[in-house]
Amino acid sequence: MRIDVRAVKRLRESVDAAAVFGPIVQAIGASSADLSRVRVVCDWIQYKNNFREVVDHRPVLGAWPGRREDGGLEIAVDLRRCPDVDLATRVKEVLAEALADMPGGMSGGVPLAAERRTDGRADGRAAGSDGGPGGNRVTLEDWVPGRDSCVWRFNALYWQALSQWEKATGREYEQALPGGESDARNQEAVRELILELFKVWDDLDARQALPEELYIVELGVGNGNQARTWLDAFAELDVARGRDYYQRLHYLMGDYSPHVLERARKAVAHHGDRVNALVLDATRPAHTLGFLAGKAFLVYISNLYDNLPSDEVACIDGRMYQVEVRAYLPAAAARTIAQTYGLGPVSPGRGNPDRPPGDLGTVIDRLLRLGPELLSVSLPDRFPDTERAVAFWRDVWNGLRLQERYVPMAGLDLYEIAPSLSGEILRSVLEAAGDIRMHVNNGTLSSFADTLRLLHPYGRLQCHDLFLTDRRQYRTGFYGPGKYDGSVVNWVNGPLLQLIGNRRGFDVSFSPFKQRPSANVKTLTAQARD
Amino acid sequence: MARKRQPVLPTTVVGSYSVPEWLERLKTDYYQRRISGQHLAEIHEIAIKAAIKDQERAGIDIVSDGELRRDNDVDYFLARIPGVLVPHHAKTYYFDYYEAEVTRPLPEDPEPSLGLADDFAFTRGQTDRPIKFSFTGPFSLSRRITDTGAYKDQADLVRAIARRLGAEARALVAAGAELLQIDEPFLAGYREDVELAVEAVNIVTDGVAATWALHVCYGNRYARPLWEGHYDFLFPAVQAAKVDQLVLEFARRGLDDLRLFRAYEWDRSLGLGVVDVKSAEVETPELIARRIRRALEYVPAERLVINPDCGLRHQPAEVARAKLRAMVAGTEQVRQELAAEARKASAPPDDRQRSATGAPAGQRA
Repeated sequence: MRIDVRAVKRLRESVDAAAVFGPIVQAIGASSADLSRVRVVCDWIQYKNNFREVVDHRPVLGAWPGRREDGGLEIAVDLRRCPDVDLATRVKEVLAEALADMPGGMSGGVPLAAERRTDGRADGRAAGSDGGPGGNRVTLEDWVPGRDSCVWRFNALYWQALSQWEKATGREYEQALPGGESDARNQEAVRELILELFKVWDDLDARQALPEELYIVELGVGNGNQARTWLDAFAELDVARGRDYYQRLHYLMGDYSPHVLERARKAVAHHGDRVNALVLDATRPAHTLGFLAGKAFLVYISNLYDNLPSDEVACIDGRMYQVEVRAYLPAAAARTIAQTYGLGPVSPGRGNPDRPPGDLGTVIDRLLRLGPELLSVSLPDRFPDTERAVAFWRDVWNGLRLQERYVPMAGLDLYEIAPSLSGEILRSVLEAAGDIRMHVNNGTLSSFADTLRLLHPYGRLQCHDLFLTDRRQYRTGFYGPGKYDGSVVNWVNGPLLQLIGNRRGFDVSFSPFKQRPSANVKTLTAQARD
Repeated sequence: MARKRQPVLPTTVVGSYSVPEWLERLKTDYYQRRISGQHLAEIHEIAIKAAIKDQERAGIDIVSDGELRRDNDVDYFLARIPGVLVPHHAKTYYFDYYEAEVTRPLPEDPEPSLGLADDFAFTRGQTDRPIKFSFTGPFSLSRRITDTGAYKDQADLVRAIARRLGAEARALVAAGAELLQIDEPFLAGYREDVELAVEAVNIVTDGVAATWALHVCYGNRYARPLWEGHYDFLFPAVQAAKVDQLVLEFARRGLDDLRLFRAYEWDRSLGLGVVDVKSAEVETPELIARRIRRALEYVPAERLVINPDCGLRHQPAEVARAKLRAMVAGTEQVRQELAAEARKASAPPDDRQRSATGAPAGQRA
């Protein structure tokens, strides 16, 4: 049996963390599991609101049906919350659930691969059924790759119905960020960036190679403060230099939330026609901004990449796995929510036409499709006003958890990170790292690769976000998913972004965030090389 | 087997051909010492045979080896030029550039040492079609070398590389090469150096009995342009180049620069880029034909060669094949139009009248 402690810093700092191993080993040792195929993974999940149980199990599915040595079991532990539970009892319960889910798989020698269907697809318990013998999970979906989970529908709903969420919580979303505000108001850094831009333009102009239209793009505009700071500084510096670049400037703001975009527009209204706002799919900005291919001199992105759909992949004992997830509500939470809002008993079968309309799963699905306002209109007896529907939304979100399992990958080349981005690019990172589990940040990679296409040969992409800058960090910390208010957060796999950029002819570097050098937020800069 | 006579508007490629993802992985494996050079050489030979077959099946008249042996357009040459130092031969990714330097003047040796004639000979053995063999020109190669005291004047490094490439060109011709192309992918970014680049081209081609093409584009590394602008910078300096053909990109950038060929009375051939190699969108034959017709307003058919804008290395194989097929089909449309016009022009007056009305002259009374 292997114990993998990722929270190495906490292990040294916390006596409580170190004390958990005895009960865990004892409980697992007392079980009938094949210990040679069990590993325990200990994280320290820093997000107070997250998708994990304190202790849970993750099957490692086998690749080849009939091979005894295939597959295994992972026991996942959140060291931070261990003192809150009777650990030995909890581990025994989880093991019992795991062994019941995998009949004979770990104790009687029946290969785990037998769980898989003959068509090669991993079998999954029907959504809506209770997981485990105790019936302690109400699942909301089938097993899916992380990016396809319904948690991203919740995330999208948060941005679409942000004003309603903010009204319910009484605070703007920026206040939910660590530090209480977004990161991009550093006057000095902004002026420095603009002056560098002026130098590039002066040089191009001297060579008669400066385009008439000068495009700047901002993706993920927040409340417009960044745009206002930037444009005000630009206008002032341009007047001082007398080159009249301001008259040629086009500042394009893009965001997937019309509400956020409208708020940002108001913040820069005094710049009139110099600014345009576009609702766009952040994962495919070129779909909307394709006309800018090769024309953007600066693309500015802040706090966007950590909020886009992501898969996770893992290398375990030299084999590549995709992490599949299944969203669920703990049965007790589901019962409480159903009672609170007068919903019918939880019944299995998401998408089942026979499921009653007042069923909890059906109503959650309706919430995600319609949003809280229309949910209230469509079920006025349960949700007499929008506020009540938002309260329901928040309760479900608070209770939401993710089950996980590892499914063997047939080949990295067959794994599509995003359209026209093959999983083959993961190989060098995965192969070099040994056993590792990491984010793919599919939405981010897609967005990044798409955005690079927009850059002028002398253009630059600058991005502030939560970046890992070394793949080894995945061995020593937890990087999501977590819950930020009503949204999902995953740190961004920086080495993978560097690789994507390099393969497209860009140097990609990371530096401390100038405004708060000690912050987790880092600054990514991408510029054409060679 | 005797090679067939070239048709009007011959179709060809600029050089590189689609590099599949699996080949990129194997090339990278070589640069990280996970497979041997011997294995990689065998893999390259198989890939080259497939690339030639693809071109033949698409109907390309003048084919190439797809430059599939090369890690990129620079290092394949620099790593072989005596006197150019490459301190670190391992690469994280095969396509990355080396950091190369010269610390003393390159040795002057009239014997070839880059092995290009062997590369050509292999290709010659795989096809009966005419072959275009391309190599990167001295000016662009020099831009990737750091001179740490070898030459007082950077131009002397360019000239020294040109002499080395000249020796290779003579060996290529001795091996049977008839159409050679010099690529200058960086020149557009150094427009003030066109005269030097042309001087170096002339050193390469001096006394080498081949048909010479000079390819100047706006960059195709990672399927992105490195520069933007117009081809005005080439003229009039390029008229002094001892080459038979200019190969330029037009599909991506538009055909406006064709005016230069009339304005400067260019009297040699033009390799007309009609396929955008930076886009995966496959052109229709009709679009190709329109581009060619537009070019015919400036350059006569007998001096027009049809090719993509640049190499197809960054396009997936199925896209590359489809683009070549479209290029051949579009060219064929124009050939037929030209043939019809030629028949019409050479027909006796009565026949011309009949053809104009759709009925024999004697039946129209």
